[in-house]
Amino acid sequence: MTIASTMTFHPRPEPGQPTPWNFPAPTRSALPNGLTVLRCDRPGQALVAAELVLDVPLAAEPREQEGVSTILARAFSEGTESLTAEEFAGELERAGANLDAHADHTVLRLSLEVPASRLERGLALMADAVRAPAFPEHEIERLVANRLDEIVHEQANPARRAALAFYSELFDQSDRLSRPRSGSAETVEAIDRAAVTTFYAAHVRPATGTLVVVGDFSGVDFDAVLAATIGRWTGTPGAHVPAAPVRGNDTGRVVIVDRPGSVQTQLLIGRIGPDRHDDTWAAQILGTYCLGGTLTSRLDRVLREEKGYTYGVRAFAQPLRSGADGQGRALLAISGSVDTESTAPALADTWQILRTLAAEGLTDEERDIAVQNLVGVAPLRYETASAVCATLADQVEQELPDNYQAEVYRQLAETTTAAATDAVVAAFPPDRLVAVLVGDASVIAAPLKDLGIGEVTVVSA
Amino acid sequence: MAQGFTISEHTLANGLRVVLSEDHLTPVAAVCLWYDVGSRHEVSGRTGLAHLFEHLMFQGSGQVKGNGHFELVQGAGGSLNGTTSFERTNYFETMPAHQLELALWLEADRMGSLLEALDQESLDNQRAVVKNERRQRYDNVPYGTAFERLTAMAFPDGHPYHHTPIGSMADLDAATLGDAQDFFRTYYAPNNAVLAVVGDIDPEQTLAWVQKYFGSIPGHDGKRPPRDGSTVVRSSEAPLREHVVAEVPSRAVMQAYLLPLDGTRESDAADLALTILGSGESSRLYNRLVRHDRLAVTAGFGLLRLSGAPSLGWLDAKTSGEATVEAVEAAIDQELTRFAAEGPTAKELERAQAQIEREWLDRLDTVSGRADELCRYAVLFGDPKLADTALSRVLDVTAEEIQAVAQKYLTPDNRAVLTYEPGAGAAADEQTADDRTADEDEEVQA
Repeated sequence: MTIASTMTFHPRPEPGQPTPWNFPAPTRSALPNGLTVLRCDRPGQALVAAELVLDVPLAAEPREQEGVSTILARAFSEGTESLTAEEFAGELERAGANLDAHADHTVLRLSLEVPASRLERGLALMADAVRAPAFPEHEIERLVANRLDEIVHEQANPARRAALAFYSELFDQSDRLSRPRSGSAETVEAIDRAAVTTFYAAHVRPATGTLVVVGDFSGVDFDAVLAATIGRWTGTPGAHVPAAPVRGNDTGRVVIVDRPGSVQTQLLIGRIGPDRHDDTWAAQILGTYCLGGTLTSRLDRVLREEKGYTYGVRAFAQPLRSGADGQGRALLAISGSVDTESTAPALADTWQILRTLAAEGLTDEERDIAVQNLVGVAPLRYETASAVCATLADQVEQELPDNYQAEVYRQLAETTTAAATDAVVAAFPPDRLVAVLVGDASVIAAPLKDLGIGEVTVVSA
Repeated sequence: MAQGFTISEHTLANGLRVVLSEDHLTPVAAVCLWYDVGSRHEVSGRTGLAHLFEHLMFQGSGQVKGNGHFELVQGAGGSLNGTTSFERTNYFETMPAHQLELALWLEADRMGSLLEALDQESLDNQRAVVKNERRQRYDNVPYGTAFERLTAMAFPDGHPYHHTPIGSMADLDAATLGDAQDFFRTYYAPNNAVLAVVGDIDPEQTLAWVQKYFGSIPGHDGKRPPRDGSTVVRSSEAPLREHVVAEVPSRAVMQAYLLPLDGTRESDAADLALTILGSGESSRLYNRLVRHDRLAVTAGFGLLRLSGAPSLGWLDAKTSGEATVEAVEAAIDQELTRFAAEGPTAKELERAQAQIEREWLDRLDTVSGRADELCRYAVLFGDPKLADTALSRVLDVTAEEIQAVAQKYLTPDNRAVLTYEPGAGAAADEQTADDRTADEDEEVQA
């Protein structure tokens, strides 16, 4: 059916002259207490972002108290030498500030966002949190109880459940990576105030930390603010211990986590591969985008826009325990959810897409559009201070040079179709993928056995 | 706005309202188009149509093939999406500044010629996608249907906000190509939309482009206004409480309070009241339920601002350990009663003001956030410049006004209550009031 339009059509416009844009370069310095500072001026940004990156690896947790890093991270905002937990929360809010903390495999990060006009107050509170935490016993008890509550919620959420099962399946049980970042019920139950203070004393110090601050500093004496806040933090010297190499078992197999009655199946399909220290990272990013970066990439073009099996499936690379020695790896994965009935057909299509990609490679047009998107969105992606700050802190966490992101944009623009094809085909070999499916096993298991994508096992949730 | 951005307003001959705001900090430009149509305009048996239709706006138009809207914007280094709420549907692109004209061309093309491309195949495909969106965000996650259940109680059957934008599976199945075509002809007209362009732009050139691409699209007066939702008429049988036994990880108490309409001074007072009671770790509900009594693992209060119906004050508490629903409800009621009796302290008011100021700065921190606010004030309140003074209006509210709003509205007879108990039952996170075309990316962590 054709409906006559009465509007006047014009040819598609051509772009104007692009304005050059570069990823902002930070200035690096060190405070007398040993803390490294990365500062990045962004005039006009009303909100300042700061990230404090602490050298506190999860592998350092006592095996029987895993989760202590997460409890420590949360306990930083439960009061200081001069403020109770309630008062501390109140003071943060009075400054219009937000303070989050998160413990991951290589580092513990505190993230602050505060209006530029209250930068000193915000930084002072973050500094006090790490410099002179109170760790009140009753608040630690509550954080432990709340973490136990949270575990039950994680188990019930299909996406979280898939991630937990996937890490457990991919990594050797002796590796910290195989177990939940924030601990499991039996290890969390063993955490008390003494565990937190001991862990804090052993690992938290300015000498191995880095503060990244991004925003408009025109109204403040930046160095004086630092000296009056985080500069007051003292600690013993300490040396960084490199992380253990990352190894994963990517024998092709299918693990179904049974979730009876699920109307969808949650998919997490992947393995490990090159991280940002590898020369092929830019090519891998490019190829992975072509495979599953957006709803017009190869996966969604079929699974969503042709078949309607899903709201969206994404392929991505996410660094795991990356360090300067190059022994880290990235998680390379495809994730999303499909309606229960479409589970086997969706997986069959996914594997067919991967096989076709390996056989025929990417097209020049796909490569060009992907480069234009990945490079072109940079000024949008880094419009805010917090976005710039997070990427700089990622670079610190992964022990990358300060100009890394700028360099990736340069490399992306130069990456050929052949290089992107090679990288993505190497990243997602159809016979070396671990597929974790959270769904109704009674419906999805049998058809999956006929797909030939690996042995199928079912575990109960 | 807070930083005093310049705003200029224009209206084309066909009725399209245009708002422009220059900001040359970063070489990017945001295009935001609000159509004055949302789920409140839907009719019985066709819930979810506004949102399903939003998906169809990305399936090609007169001069744009297939997925071209996505491909062209992303290929130009831009990002885009669309969302549907009770009250409006918005479409937005953020572009590198030199690609602005392309975004305007694309939005004009689908405003003027969508029906040339819309076919049964697109409809059937996006119907399947939306049903999977519903499964992913509502039906397959614990407490996923809470928003739908509470809204349905707060706004009883017959009220235009009784159903949420995602719609029901049965109604999604029932939608026909004719429904979609009628919907477009009724609501997608230049005089039922506001276009905001914010960022590194030349206003004169931008307006010339808008005139060139949008100017020839005919306006029309086919729009059917939504049924009035400003008052809620409730029969004595309409339920105000529901207890759900389902496969959820913990007990939960959720409440929805009917609050003043957005745009009123009372609604700003309600915003402050809810912030003091339930936003952040120094709030009264957090201190009482999480910190002191240890009844809950989370406890918070949020405001869903609505301009055509009472806004909803949204309370959510998930229990900790063995705490009971009764204990949590009793503690909530005590805190509400105490707050109504005492009003906020000076410190609480100061903290709430600072929090709201930061949230506002957050929204205005990007050109797309600013464009969306300009559209919001233009569409819902008739004047984009109201965005300029929105924060100062909130900061002007007094402690007495906050207390008065709490006394009047945060009462047991002005709320719907939903409670959860874990148990065998249908598998049942929280969701927002907006349903969108493309999913957001999230990290995958163990």
